[in-house]
Amino acid sequence: MVGLSEGEKHFIRGGIAQDLRADGRRRLQFRSVSVETGVIPQANGSARVRLGATEVIASVKAELGKPSILHPDKGKVSIFVDCSPTAAPMFEGRGSEELSTELSVALQRCLLGGKSGAGAVIDLSSLIVVDGKVCWDLYIDGLVISSDGNLLDALASAIKVALSDTGIPKVNVSLSAATDEEPEVDVSDEEFVQFDTSSVPVIVTLTKVGKDYIVDATSEEESQMSSAVSVSVNRHGKICGLTKRGGAGLDPSVIFDMISVAKHVSQQFLSLLDSEIASAEAAE
Amino acid sequence: MSHARSARGEREELRRHLAVDSDWPRADGRSFHDCRPAFMQTGPTTAASGSAYAEFGKTKVIVSVFGPRESKKAMMYSDTGRLNCNVSYTTFATAIRGQGVDNKEYSAMLHKALEGAVMLHTFPKTTVDVFALVLESGGSDLPIIISCASLALADAGIMMYDLVTSVSVSCFGKNIIIDPTSDEEAWQDGSLMVAYMPSRKEITQLTLTGEWSDGKITNAVELCMDACSKLCDILRERLKDPSSLASE
Amino acid sequence: MRQLKGEIGVVAKADGSALFEMGNTRVIAAVYGPREVQNKGQQVNSKEALVRCEYRMAEFSTGDRRRKPKGDRRSTEISLVIRQTMEASILTHLMPRSQIDIFVQVLQADGGTRSACINAATLALADAGIPMRDIVTSCSAGYLCSTPLLDLNYIEDSAGGPDVTVGILAKMDKVTLLQMDAKLPMDTFENVMELAIEGCKAIANYIREVLLENTKRLECQRG
Repeated sequence: MVGLSEGEKHFIRGGIAQDLRADGRRRLQFRSVSVETGVIPQANGSARVRLGATEVIASVKAELGKPSILHPDKGKVSIFVDCSPTAAPMFEGRGSEELSTELSVALQRCLLGGKSGAGAVIDLSSLIVVDGKVCWDLYIDGLVISSDGNLLDALASAIKVALSDTGIPKVNVSLSAATDEEPEVDVSDEEFVQFDTSSVPVIVTLTKVGKDYIVDATSEEESQMSSAVSVSVNRHGKICGLTKRGGAGLDPSVIFDMISVAKHVSQQFLSLLDSEIASAEAAE
Repeated sequence: MSHARSARGEREELRRHLAVDSDWPRADGRSFHDCRPAFMQTGPTTAASGSAYAEFGKTKVIVSVFGPRESKKAMMYSDTGRLNCNVSYTTFATAIRGQGVDNKEYSAMLHKALEGAVMLHTFPKTTVDVFALVLESGGSDLPIIISCASLALADAGIMMYDLVTSVSVSCFGKNIIIDPTSDEEAWQDGSLMVAYMPSRKEITQLTLTGEWSDGKITNAVELCMDACSKLCDILRERLKDPSSLASE
Repeated sequence: MRQLKGEIGVVAKADGSALFEMGNTRVIAAVYGPREVQNKGQQVNSKEALVRCEYRMAEFSTGDRRRKPKGDRRSTEISLVIRQTMEASILTHLMPRSQIDIFVQVLQADGGTRSACINAATLALADAGIPMRDIVTSCSAGYLCSTPLLDLNYIEDSAGGPDVTVGILAKMDKVTLLQMDAKLPMDTFENVMELAIEGCKAIANYIREVLLENTKRLECQRG
């Protein structure tokens, strides 16, 4: 996919070893982030995030649905990712399916928490309208428009921004006397409820090239990786999910070291993202 | 309806015990840090180059390995071999017919857990196919598939750096429970899976969901690695002496 | 005609790319190529370039969200329409034994996606520097309540009236695409088509402006 000559490969690896990457960044430095909210007016919330040449859109749509029997007091959230062929010709047709599933699963793992609903990014019980009968189904869709590495981090931050942009319509339930009947639900057009998104984590992917780890790898750098660890960390420094990519085995101590580095980096990235969200909201 | 409610009440009760108490007999009588008895056998399918069967409690998995053989698809020349993994569920694997759990990503996860262990350069231009079939799903499916697949690969005589074994843990409140059953998985607050090469002391795959603190991760990973080493010993026994029945 | 907006170079890694908006309809087109033919089996005529096209709609592009399988009939049909329309203007004989991929992604659908895709593809092809006979532009027109309407949005489109989509080579005054559903009397059809062609010409003027501005910007950057 990325055609690199031996010289180029050597240059990238050498640069990383000397803490000066091909685009002039340090190892633990992100590319410039730009954030835009409300890009899809039809959705309840949406955002576009650019990380260097990587560009993704996330949209959040809320629909009324029925809660599952297992968890009658909780709403449902689902995450899907699609890679547009505009990002790379190899995503044509079914070519994107493998990567899309991998990204969707990684995001689900990092954002939805355990099966009991603990550790999910949004309080799932806040999505309930009538206990056991009506709840909000949140559909989070990610779309990769332009790809230059580090898709997972970009998608996760786009979802975070989109969620902070999301307004769920206020619902008035007219309680009918008979409990078996379907409750009548009146969806308001004007009033919206916002989520508490302060606990939504960001994902930081540390890519191991040679002996060192880098953040926010470009696709050229990703082609040189031996393995990568994506850690999702929330504001309180708790780890909400972790995925390892790449086949090479890692020493346990290296993994623990990577986790602590990722935790450190994530706090900087979180505050950077928060200030971007604030300025994006102010611009609207 | 009332039956369902009382069942749910019971489950809530059990869940509370699992989350709060320091040790409490689980539904199948194990303590928190006990694995289910493992039964493993090589060679159930004769047509394959290598195969293995694993049974951990209710979970039953069969893995067949074919190859190294010529790559089917007209693909580009490659000086390393290819590892092709596929995980499927029988229609009767789960309680509700044909309603498999979210297993779409299992094939990719199995591939990622194994590729670091297989010496791909020893069979250039060819493919090794690993087909895993879950006969019955009873919790911790993926870790068992991974361990069983590495036994099948060894049985097929594919060169590997080390055997890969895998164990998962579930997190309930402050407690960590090893080798969860599917009931326990349905109620867990978080989970962690480790695929490990015990002799090389390398982790090939690590996934984590739910909210975890640093210390807890360290504990859980060490617990898993310990269990992986034990499981690996069973696998080795099994390979050395296929006639004896190995179970923990 | 709704508000138009064109932007060039939105996908960094593509050889040429463009964003095109017609009111609320918003599409992105990316062009890769000319490059080596990836699948030799698809090459029919080695003296001409192979043009390929894929049309895809984002999950969130429509009002009601439903998951559609990839490559459903509608997408396949539109891919084909776009391919044939663009092929008519690309000078394929100048690039033998190569292929050009056009990918269009609909971000928001509000009627006239076909037209918007063709316009976006034209901009992207021009950005990629692919030799073309002329700019292809497209616009739709309909006939509702005995008045011809230009550039239908989703609500007007779903009202059930006839919908004529026209694609023209702007300078050469040639029609490369003509599609209509429902029925129209002959004389009204001529009026509606006339209107659509006028729309196409207006779009062509706009696209030319965008391209000119982009060239000026590039010139500035060079110094």
